[in-house]
Amino acid sequence: MTRIEEIVEDFEGLEPNFRLELLLDYADRLPPLPERHRNPDELESHRVHECASPVSLWVEVEAGKVHIYADVPPESPTVRGFISMLIEAFDEASPQEVLEAPTELLNRSGLAQAIGLRRMFGLSVIYGRIKQEVAEKAAIQQSR
Amino acid sequence: MSEYAHPEVLVSTQWMADHIDDPALRIVESDEDVLLYGAGHIPNAVKIDWEMDLQDAMVRDYINAERFEQLLSEKGIANHTRIVFYGDKNNWWACYAFWTFKLFGHEHCLIMNGGRQKWIEENRPLTREVPQFPRTRYRVRQSNEAAIRAFREDVFKHIQSGKPLIDVRSPDEYTGKLLHMESYPQEGALRGGHIPGARNVPWGRAANADGSFKSTDELRQIYAVEAGLDPDDEVIAYCRIGERSAHTWFVLTYLLGYDRVRNYDGSWTEWGNMVRAPIEKP
Repeated sequence: MTRIEEIVEDFEGLEPNFRLELLLDYADRLPPLPERHRNPDELESHRVHECASPVSLWVEVEAGKVHIYADVPPESPTVRGFISMLIEAFDEASPQEVLEAPTELLNRSGLAQAIGLRRMFGLSVIYGRIKQEVAEKAAIQQSR
Repeated sequence: MSEYAHPEVLVSTQWMADHIDDPALRIVESDEDVLLYGAGHIPNAVKIDWEMDLQDAMVRDYINAERFEQLLSEKGIANHTRIVFYGDKNNWWACYAFWTFKLFGHEHCLIMNGGRQKWIEENRPLTREVPQFPRTRYRVRQSNEAAIRAFREDVFKHIQSGKPLIDVRSPDEYTGKLLHMESYPQEGALRGGHIPGARNVPWGRAANADGSFKSTDELRQIYAVEAGLDPDDEVIAYCRIGERSAHTWFVLTYLLGYDRVRNYDGSWTEWGNMVRAPIEKP
């Protein structure tokens, strides 16, 4: 079982209220953004414009391993928690593992029921963007 | 400086801090972000979520009176309880919850001026402890729907009789350049523009940088002078789903004393998708 499948299973087995608590645990653990990304130009060019709050996201593939970094304000714990969960699932994973992760992540984990339909959109965009960037960057690496 | 029309519905952060343990009060946090309350809230505050708690999951409507009674009873709110609402983003969602509670006729509703942002900026305490209050037997005694909620049929009549409408969305949504609010593309519509005759006053203009409401004189300048609204006018306010316009409804009703204001919660996500609904562009 991959880490993302384990995490999905953790969420799925909980009542909606406890899913929120678990997501908050993840929000608390979002790793700080590395110093090298902390400048206004980079934060702006990595903005996820579909999110209502100022969220910036970096997806890198190096030596066959995926790395994800993000900057999310504390006033947006839902997005913080979701990205932190994806970092825990995908950091150091192979691109293939990310690309094979379930597309219906929010529904399968039961997060959709816990946060409400209207709030799912921004999260789906983030998830889609991670997969897309991993696919593009892994392809570039392979062609080298 | 002149006073608000109903200053008794606003409390300050200091007043709130002094009344945290008042048993006759219930503090309610309502936010856009569903996890924000859990991340830290005013001690003794309970959470009411605009979507998970107040919206019906099947039909596009608010929960019914029975479920509202159940919700308030669980939160330890009785019919005579004074409720102080506060939340993120200039009390945007707090005003929406306030309006929804008024739909069900809850009498004593208050807003903490400045909301979550001001409380935090003043370094006041937050906790993650979720309080438990004794269950009550809340009863919905009257509905205020006719007085404060407008449906599409009301809007058609309103247009025909030339009564004022206020579109509280951003200028780009109003002119039809955007089919949705910036950063909220899931709440779009098939057509852009505004309801014929509506004037555009973005909701956020009513708030100061610290999240508190602007003064009476500033508000009068915006709504009476610029938008030309008269206190005796029947006004309908709308946005995309009725939450931003609940903020404007609050400002007009309680701060400026316009007592015939309704919120059209169907808003642009209904109007901009409705077959043959008339639309105006710029």
